[in-house]
Amino acid sequence: MRERETVRAPLARGREHVVATVDEIPPGQSKVVPIGRYGVGVYNVNGRFYAIANYCPHEGGPLCRGRTHGQTVVDPERPGGAAEAREGEFIYCPWHQWGFELATGTTAVKPEWSIRTYPVRVDGDNVIVTA
Amino acid sequence: MTTPSGPLVDASVQIFFRSDADLRTYLREPFRSRGYPHVDVAWFAPPGPRYLPGTSGADGAHPGSDPAAVGRAVVEERGFDVAVLHPMTAASILPDWHLATAILAATNEMLVERWLDDGPYAAHFRGTIRVNPRDIDGALREIERWKDHPRVVQIGLPMQTEVPYGRPQFKPLWRAASEAGLPVAVHIEMGVGITHPPTPSGITRTYSHLFAYQPMTFVWHLLNMIAEGVFHEFPDLKVVWTDGAADMLTPFIWRMDTFGRPHLEQTPWAPDIPSSYLPGHVWFVNALIDGPGDAPFADEWLRMTGKEDMLLFGSSYPAWHTAGPDDLPAAWTAEQRAKVLGGNAAELYGITAAAGAATA
Amino acid sequence: MTIEIQEQRRTGAEQVRVRVVDSDVHPTPRRGELAPYIPEPYRTLIAQRNQMAGNSVYYDAPDYNHAYAMRTDSFPDDGNFAGSDPALTFRQLILEAGSDIAILGPLNGGGQTDEETHALCVATNLWQDHHWLDGENNWHQRYRGSICVAIETPDEAAREIERWAGHPYMSQILINAEPRPSWGHPRYDPIWAAATRHDIPVACHLGRGQHNELPMSPVGFMTYNHDLMVTYSMLAANQVMSLVFDGVFDRFPTLRIVLIEHAFNWILPLMWRMDAVYAARGPENGLRRKPSEYVKDHIWFTTQPLDYPENKLELTNALEWMEADKLLLFSSDYPHWTFDDPQWVAKHMPERWREKIMFENAIELFHLPATVPALAGQKRPF
Repeated sequence: MRERETVRAPLARGREHVVATVDEIPPGQSKVVPIGRYGVGVYNVNGRFYAIANYCPHEGGPLCRGRTHGQTVVDPERPGGAAEAREGEFIYCPWHQWGFELATGTTAVKPEWSIRTYPVRVDGDNVIVTA
Repeated sequence: MTTPSGPLVDASVQIFFRSDADLRTYLREPFRSRGYPHVDVAWFAPPGPRYLPGTSGADGAHPGSDPAAVGRAVVEERGFDVAVLHPMTAASILPDWHLATAILAATNEMLVERWLDDGPYAAHFRGTIRVNPRDIDGALREIERWKDHPRVVQIGLPMQTEVPYGRPQFKPLWRAASEAGLPVAVHIEMGVGITHPPTPSGITRTYSHLFAYQPMTFVWHLLNMIAEGVFHEFPDLKVVWTDGAADMLTPFIWRMDTFGRPHLEQTPWAPDIPSSYLPGHVWFVNALIDGPGDAPFADEWLRMTGKEDMLLFGSSYPAWHTAGPDDLPAAWTAEQRAKVLGGNAAELYGITAAAGAATA
Repeated sequence: MTIEIQEQRRTGAEQVRVRVVDSDVHPTPRRGELAPYIPEPYRTLIAQRNQMAGNSVYYDAPDYNHAYAMRTDSFPDDGNFAGSDPALTFRQLILEAGSDIAILGPLNGGGQTDEETHALCVATNLWQDHHWLDGENNWHQRYRGSICVAIETPDEAAREIERWAGHPYMSQILINAEPRPSWGHPRYDPIWAAATRHDIPVACHLGRGQHNELPMSPVGFMTYNHDLMVTYSMLAANQVMSLVFDGVFDRFPTLRIVLIEHAFNWILPLMWRMDAVYAARGPENGLRRKPSEYVKDHIWFTTQPLDYPENKLELTNALEWMEADKLLLFSSDYPHWTFDDPQWVAKHMPERWREKIMFENAIELFHLPATVPALAGQKRPF
């Protein structure tokens, strides 16, 4: 079992948690909340909320300490032939830079390498994660 | 020894002009009066024989220069139905790329005239059309000239280049080869010329080191081609690494894949996991020093990375390192032997049993 | 609990068995920390060159402008670079990841001339001694250092080895592979002689040079960090072939070489290839043994980066076939972005060889103690 920076007083699992108000996590921002062993990262991507486990399935890195950005695509119209698409929709692990789509928890290249995601809903001003 | 049911194919027989004088009869001025290296030079020659004993012509003709003699050796004595011929040259590493193109064109003319269109073994031979990667326009003209010849099976390029084959300047070659339906065979050029040193550390101190190391040069070309998206852009492109060393593919593609995920953001033109670009794109000649020898797991190793579908047995006759079917690992299954001794080559080059069995 | 340990910086009487030796860890100097140790005139020369000098990176690792090729969680709060704080390295690598002993390999770069490279090595060794291996920063006795030497100046290198041999916390000699010619050239013999005189292994970590010593391949330069770093192993493969075919292990039968971060799966088919050419070419090379025997007796490889195929069984087979217990040493490469976690690596090693690879081989090779002072709260990876 990993001993890395574990959550000291985790909230009970298997139920809904109000993790933040909508205003607390504006688009492009995130918040790590103490659910589960390593915490859960809650992300606002263009107004939609997603929640992922703060744990990379590769070697157990602290996924939510990584950066979100888009995905590089071919664009022959641009100098250099590449552009970034879907800005902010992917989380990249701060260790080996594996990228995962926040909405699905996985990537096109290797769908079987996926991160744990949690259902998120908004109720009034509250962001609610089921974990 | 188990023989496959289809044609037995020797995917690498090295053929030569009888002499430099012979080459020059195929050149026209001003190239006929130029200076260029012979295929056999002193620099890093093997200590000992360059070729099998008894392969020189009675008149001093270079080993591997007489179609009848080569046919007797490869077809009659060694029992192969079809031999894929590689005309050996010292041209495509010349600084004057015009001269190089002229010599390669002369070589192709000789190949077709002497080996593919004439002689008692012509029906057993298939040819490699040599082109110059330093002269793309000239190469395209040469491909256009010979691509429809019924016994031409592939385009030949040198292993030694100034930049790796993934670079965009080579795209017209891949396009032309793909459109012609011809694989591209890469082979270490002979002689000397403007090449980078053969290892990242410079020259080697021994011949054995060079001989074992140089065929592994494909690793740089192949990984660069993958990262540059060459196989993504040219889905019909087939490449044959003619000097062997297929064993190195397995560890290097593992590494390429493992490192692939984080680097995809830099190479969106190669969006798939690197190993996915191998099937249908990459083949290797199996040479004398390839393989795990008499290891009991040789069959398992061959299955890994799909190598059993990539290998083409090649003798390299008449070089000193000529290999025979007896040199293949004993632990290979009968099915693997059949693939390597002819099945894979027959499929790649479109060789049928009927064509192989016919005699002129 | 861990904060208390760090503040006390004392060890108790209790010892714990070493279960993980990490053979690749990178300390880096804080801003201004190395300069005082660089001898003149190089100190001034380098300082002048660094005036207004920006980054010189090419072949950039993923997301370079944000991550700088490091684990982004490994930067200390004081604004210095990843790996510059012995206490943070201790916390993240020793306590949290569970490496018991870390072999430090500084990568302080080379110079424009051989003499400059040597001067930087001299400085790096002094800097390690004062900032990582001293009683205050190494209070936990978990750090070991490298005697950095310039392969380009073999006589100076031999003298530097003599200077530091016997230091209680210097465990290896550290050289580069990029300079030409390859290691088999007799000009390097003074280094092997000094190393074997003191029974210190000679390790090599990859590091980039310039121009034809970047390294440059026989077919020119690669395009991306991806193809460059993957093909980097071809340089190591060439050094292995040179060591073998140029007779270095016949001249120095007790020499041990460690190849750090060059991957290792390629040594399996390379051993076959070398054995085959040895069999085909007969005695012309004058070798006393088969090439693969030299490799298994003299050369070690670190496990990071651990590459593996889709089918894990193929890796297990490869490890068996190469007799990995005779070849491998665990490494993490902390704090680089390609860091391999010790628990993760241990899981991938065949169980019956796990202890050899994770610590036994290294204890024997580097003459390390079998136990170290215990640290409360330290993760035990396996």
